[in-house]
Amino acid sequence: MQDTGKNLIIAGVGGQGILLFSNLLSKYYMKLGYELKISDVIGLGQRGGGVESHFRYSTKPVLSPFIKAGDVDFLLSFEQTETLRYLHCLKEDGIVFSSTFELSTSSVNTRLEKDMPESKTELIKQSKNKTFIINPDENKSTEFDISKMMNIVMLAIYAEFRGYEHDEMLQIVRESVPEKFVQGNIKAYEKGIEIARAEIK
Amino acid sequence: MKQENKTSTMKMMNGNEAVARGAFEAGVKVASGFPGTPSTEVMDYTQQRYPDIYCEWSTNEKVGLEVAIGASFAGYRSFAVMKTVGLHVAADALGGAAGSQINGGLVLVVGDDVGRIAGDDYNDVRHYGNMFNIPVLEPSDSQEAKDLMIKAFEISEEYSTPVIIKITSVICKTTSTVAIDESCTYTVKCRSKYKVSFSKVIMTTMMMNARGSEHPKLTKCFNDFPAHMKRLTNDCNDFDINKLELNGKKIGVITAGTPYYYTKEVLPDASILKLGLVMPLPEKLIRELAAHVDKLYVIEDGHDLLEKNIKDLGIAVIGKELFPKFPEMMRFTPDIIEEKLVPNAPKRTIIDGIPFRLPVSCAGCSHLFISEILRKHKIKAAADVTCGLIGCFPHMESYSLQKCMGSSIALAHGYNVATDHKENFVAMIGDGGFWATGINGLMNLIFNDSQSTTIIVDNSCLAMTGGQHIASSEFGFNYKPENKLEITKVCEAIGVKDIVTVDAYEFENLENAILNAVNANTNSVVIVKKPCVTKFKLPKSDPYCIDQDLCTQCRKCINIGCLAIESKKGKDGKVEIVINEDLCVGCGLCSTACKFDAIKL
Repeated sequence: MQDTGKNLIIAGVGGQGILLFSNLLSKYYMKLGYELKISDVIGLGQRGGGVESHFRYSTKPVLSPFIKAGDVDFLLSFEQTETLRYLHCLKEDGIVFSSTFELSTSSVNTRLEKDMPESKTELIKQSKNKTFIINPDENKSTEFDISKMMNIVMLAIYAEFRGYEHDEMLQIVRESVPEKFVQGNIKAYEKGIEIARAEIK
Repeated sequence: MKQENKTSTMKMMNGNEAVARGAFEAGVKVASGFPGTPSTEVMDYTQQRYPDIYCEWSTNEKVGLEVAIGASFAGYRSFAVMKTVGLHVAADALGGAAGSQINGGLVLVVGDDVGRIAGDDYNDVRHYGNMFNIPVLEPSDSQEAKDLMIKAFEISEEYSTPVIIKITSVICKTTSTVAIDESCTYTVKCRSKYKVSFSKVIMTTMMMNARGSEHPKLTKCFNDFPAHMKRLTNDCNDFDINKLELNGKKIGVITAGTPYYYTKEVLPDASILKLGLVMPLPEKLIRELAAHVDKLYVIEDGHDLLEKNIKDLGIAVIGKELFPKFPEMMRFTPDIIEEKLVPNAPKRTIIDGIPFRLPVSCAGCSHLFISEILRKHKIKAAADVTCGLIGCFPHMESYSLQKCMGSSIALAHGYNVATDHKENFVAMIGDGGFWATGINGLMNLIFNDSQSTTIIVDNSCLAMTGGQHIASSEFGFNYKPENKLEITKVCEAIGVKDIVTVDAYEFENLENAILNAVNANTNSVVIVKKPCVTKFKLPKSDPYCIDQDLCTQCRKCINIGCLAIESKKGKDGKVEIVINEDLCVGCGLCSTACKFDAIKL
């Protein structure tokens, strides 16, 4: 059956390349002829704030730029505190892809509030949704910096999971990132495929 | 799947990008304004994509609007862009343009931070529509942002009025498809209908039928703006940008902006009046919808202005009684509409206890050095609107006073004259704030014989909005080295007695400079230089690290407010203070704050 469209939330913190991720993915869906609306909610200009992107593609015109809680098919998160912030937005059969990377929040650092006592990774694993956990520390490479390129790794994982054309996606990456970063991005993408193939059986 | 018009291609654009495209298609000659989230990129896109349009970032919003008004009087279509908070600065200029003769179309593109997504203000630009009796347009997506930009110029010229386009943080940051006619070429439009254009004081005098008011010397100054607005109020019932979609009879909704799409998604059977022109209101269409439905709601982001204006027409609508505004609600979402208007809607709630992210300064920011010195020596100070205002946050507590952009110098001066200069209350201001309006505060304190100290943070750009150029930058749209303004020279010319310039990273020098300035019996300026770490991507030095054996967890380093210093649970579950080596730029500020020599290279 043809895919008539899905709702994605892409979450993380400033500097993780979430906007690039949305941009690359949007080009893929544009090529397939889908209608799109992507809403990037960015906090104060400074680094380290939460970033959330509502990404909707559909065969019909997309109405609301924001996805209602409960309507999210895929949550792709680059930071695990942010994963928890959007878990409730998923559909019953919605799927989570989450990095175990964590940037501690300033309010906890400064003791304005207490951190959650539980392990965040465990909380995500325990959710009723299907979850894929990606640990950047276990996937470090000398060929690219995973702390900066988790977005491309995640793009490959998502593409593999959805059964998309990697050649097509890589072409979009090549056309969209500055030349000097292309090689590193391709290595990151290949790593993503490798992680996905090990996880998704 | 989408229908593609043969002559046009579909392009993904965000609202800011689409407004810039609209300006190009409308044949705009001059674009001016001042950066402000969320609408800064309107100018960036205009300047990058459409080199035929003259672009400038002006010294402040008022100057920016005045530039646009002048260009409009010369006969050329022009727009000024700013955020609503910026329009407060430019309001006097807008009041002067409202109701006066317009030659080339004059449009104000104003960004409302709906939902306080980017800042801490809850303003609504439509108040200016009510106050000055000028039209306000509001797009619902990028396609409309482009189309309404063109429509705004047509309205401005046809009805002789400035026009406001309200764009919101949602519109600006949402990307959707826009039909672009690739064959469209840039054509400057020029229209010189009026030889004079005066602010409406003169016209009002005429309307009072003063003796001799028939004299041609006076009538050429006369602009019957109430008549223009009356005509627009009547005509707008037939504007296709105001769409009446008659559907089910149970629920009727009057809406505008992105809430239109939330409504359509959540209430597919509702009858909807979607307003592209939110001021003035199409009374006939509203009455038609009211007669068609059992219950009529107003779903509008921002303040309850449509609601009030509709109630003023004597039409009953349900608005904030069902959807309470700030602080209960920051902005509409499809969820809120569903919760209130769809029976048995499922309710989803966020997991408890997820920590909040307070804004933090970038690692290596010069503001952190200043905040640290002020806190260390318990120097009382006012902050400005600058990245440094993060120093006001409860974890840093470096400042005790902070108000609007450019205010800190005058605030400190006021405090000092009231306390007979006994407390040496210091002003900290960014270079952007200094040029915008802060310079007035400095001139003021000099000729009023004040002894205040001002710290000017020179990071060579307007950092908070993404690094736009200012008068003292070494880059810019119209930059020439010989035209660069020097903060030092201006301070000298104004008559500041004691001026020192220091590099932010030379901690001891900076500390001494600030202490000397504060303790001197004269007015003084300390210029702290360090290019913005984010804008100019300064080369990183080796990261510092914390020796856990020496760390006593006194948390002095954490209170610096640097993004790279984290409090984390280690492998054994014990909390450790650590430096994130990916984020650390090696500025060394934290090592100066540590009393136990635990922070090392």
